Amino acid sequence: MIPLARKTLIHEWRRFLPAMLAVAFSGLLLLMQAALVFGIFGSTAVYITASDADLWVGYPGTQSIELGRPIGPAARTAMLMDPGVARVEPFAWVDGDWRGPAGTGGVSVFVSGISTEPDGMIFSDVLTTAQRASLKEPLAVIVDRADLPKLGVPIGGQALINGELVRIVGVANGIRALGGVDVVASLDTARALDNDTGGTEVAYYVAKLKPGADADAVAARIDASAHGYAAWTASSFARRAVFYWMFQTGAGLGVIFLAIVVFIVGAIITSQTLMGAIAGSVREYATLHALGVGLGSLRRVVLEQAAWIGVCGLVAGVLLSLGLIGLAKLEDVPVELNLPAWIACAALVMGIALVSGAAAVRALRSADPALLLR
Amino acid sequence: MSALVASDLCMGYTSGKLRTEILRGLSLSVDAGQLTLIAGPSGCGKSTLLSILSGLQRPDAGGVVALGEDLFRGDRHARDRFRLQHTGFVFQGFNLFPALTALEQVMLPLGYMGVDDRTAEARGRATLDEVGLSDRMHLLPAELSGGEKQRVAIARALVKQPELFFADEPTSALDAANGQTVIDTLRRIAHEHDTTVLCVSHDPRLVTHADRVLQMEDGAILNDRRVPHGDTMPREESAS
Repeated sequence: MIPLARKTLIHEWRRFLPAMLAVAFSGLLLLMQAALVFGIFGSTAVYITASDADLWVGYPGTQSIELGRPIGPAARTAMLMDPGVARVEPFAWVDGDWRGPAGTGGVSVFVSGISTEPDGMIFSDVLTTAQRASLKEPLAVIVDRADLPKLGVPIGGQALINGELVRIVGVANGIRALGGVDVVASLDTARALDNDTGGTEVAYYVAKLKPGADADAVAARIDASAHGYAAWTASSFARRAVFYWMFQTGAGLGVIFLAIVVFIVGAIITSQTLMGAIAGSVREYATLHALGVGLGSLRRVVLEQAAWIGVCGLVAGVLLSLGLIGLAKLEDVPVELNLPAWIACAALVMGIALVSGAAAVRALRSADPALLLR
Repeated sequence: MSALVASDLCMGYTSGKLRTEILRGLSLSVDAGQLTLIAGPSGCGKSTLLSILSGLQRPDAGGVVALGEDLFRGDRHARDRFRLQHTGFVFQGFNLFPALTALEQVMLPLGYMGVDDRTAEARGRATLDEVGLSDRMHLLPAELSGGEKQRVAIARALVKQPELFFADEPTSALDAANGQTVIDTLRRIAHEHDTTVLCVSHDPRLVTHADRVLQMEDGAILNDRRVPHGDTMPREESAS
C-alpha cells in the first residue's frame, strides 16, 4: 500500500506546517500551564515532598497538611508494631499568630514542630544537620529566607508567636507555604506555642520504612485497625494536598477552562489548515474516487495526516516545553510536571489533531468526480 | 455482446425556474474491444453521458447495464465497488498526486483493490512499460512533461485491468505528438486488452482513430458511424 498520507505530508510540508505549529503551541500552552499550576500548588505539599518519611499518619480524612487535627499516641504504637516500620517520628503542626515589630502587624504562621536529631525526617531535604541542632535552643525558629521581609525581623531577631517570645536562629530555602508563613521549630518549642491542645498531642506521626517494605501495604495494614487516625503513603498524601488546594482555590477549574479554550483554538486552526490542504488536492482525491476508492478510504488518508500532524506537533511542543521548564527552573519559577500530567497533555494534543482531522474530512465532500468532467 | 447498454437516459438541471434538459431519452449500446468516441460541441451533454455511463452520476430516468449488471440498482457504495473492480478513468487534467512518483501513482489504486505490494509493483512496472515510461518510473509529476503525465494517468487506470475504460478529453491539454501517443495508447488498450474504451472528445484527431464515433448534439445522438477494422475512412450508419 502506497503511504499516500505520509508521502503527501512530507512533500507538501509547507502546506501542513501551520497545523503542526498550532498543535505544537497548543501542547506548549497546556504543558506550561500544567507545570506552573503543579509548581505553585506543589508548594502546599512541601512538608511531605521535602521530607524523607515514607508514611504519614494523621486525622482521618485530612485533605491537606494545614487541616490536621491532633491525634492520640495510640497511632504511634500502632505504627511501631507494624513489621514494615523502621522508625517513627512525631510532627507537630500549630497555627500561630506572629507579632513582629510595629509596622508589620499580625502575620498568620504555620509552626512545624520537628525532630532535632540528625536523622530527623521532616524537612530533611532543606535543613542541614547544624540548622536542625540549632533548633534545640528553646523557642528558636527557622524561616524561609524569602519570608523575612514579611515577618519584619532579621536573623537573630525576636518576635511573638501566640504570645511567646521566639528568636529566628536561621533561614532556609524551599519552605515557602501558600497562604501563610512557615516557621520551623523543635517539637518542644511547638508544644510550648500550642494553646489548643496544651502540647500533649501532635497532628501527625511520620515513619521511615524498613528496606523492601511496601508503603501501600503498610498504610493499608495500619489503616485497617486505626481508630481516630488514618495512614497515607507520602506520595498519596502529597497528591491529596495539591489537589485540595487546586480545587479549593478554583485554580483547578481555571486549568480545565483554559485547557478547553486551548483545545478549541488549536482544533479550529488545525482543521482549517487541513481543509485547505484537502482543497488543494481535491481533484486528485476525486480521481481516486472515480477509480472506485470509497470516501471511507479517503477519510482515512485525512485522519492519518491529522494523526501525523499531532505526533509531530506533540514532539515539537514537548521539546519547547522542556526548554522553557529548564529556563524557568534556572530562574526559580515554580514549575513541576509529573508523568500523569505529561500523559494528559499528550492525550489532549492528539485529541486536538484528531478532532481537527474529523472536522476537515467534510472538505472531502467536494471530491466529487463529476467536477472533473466538464 | 455489448459491454454497456444505456436505455432512455434523461437528465436535466433546474436553476431557479429554468429547467435545462441535458439528455433527452438517450439510448445506446457500446461494444467491448473497441474505441468508441463520443463527439460533439461543448454543452451537448457528452460529459454528463460519460458520468452516467460510468456510474458517477445517477440519471433522472432510464438505466445503465454495465457488464451485465444494473449499475443503479445498488447504493453509492455498490457503485464505488463496481468502479474499483471494473473501470478505469482518465481525465483532461492529469490529477496526479504531487508527492508520488510515477510508479507509486500507478500502484496506488491497486492497494485499495487489495493487491499486495509486490504484485502491485510488478503490475505497475509492466503497465508503465506498456505506455513507454519505463525510464520515468521514479520521477515526480513535477519532473514529467504533460504527455508523460497523461500517460502516467492512463497507466494508473490501465493497471487495474479494467473491462471499462473511460476517458474525458484526454488529449485536449496535449500537443500534437503527445496527443497522438495518447490516442494510439487508447486504441491499443481497446484492441489488445479487449477493453471497452469510451472516450469523450471534440479532438478531430481522435475521430479518425476511433472504431466508432457517436456524434452528439442537444442531449441526443445525431449520428453513429462505425469504422471497419483496418479502415480509417468512416462509414455512415443510422443513428440509434
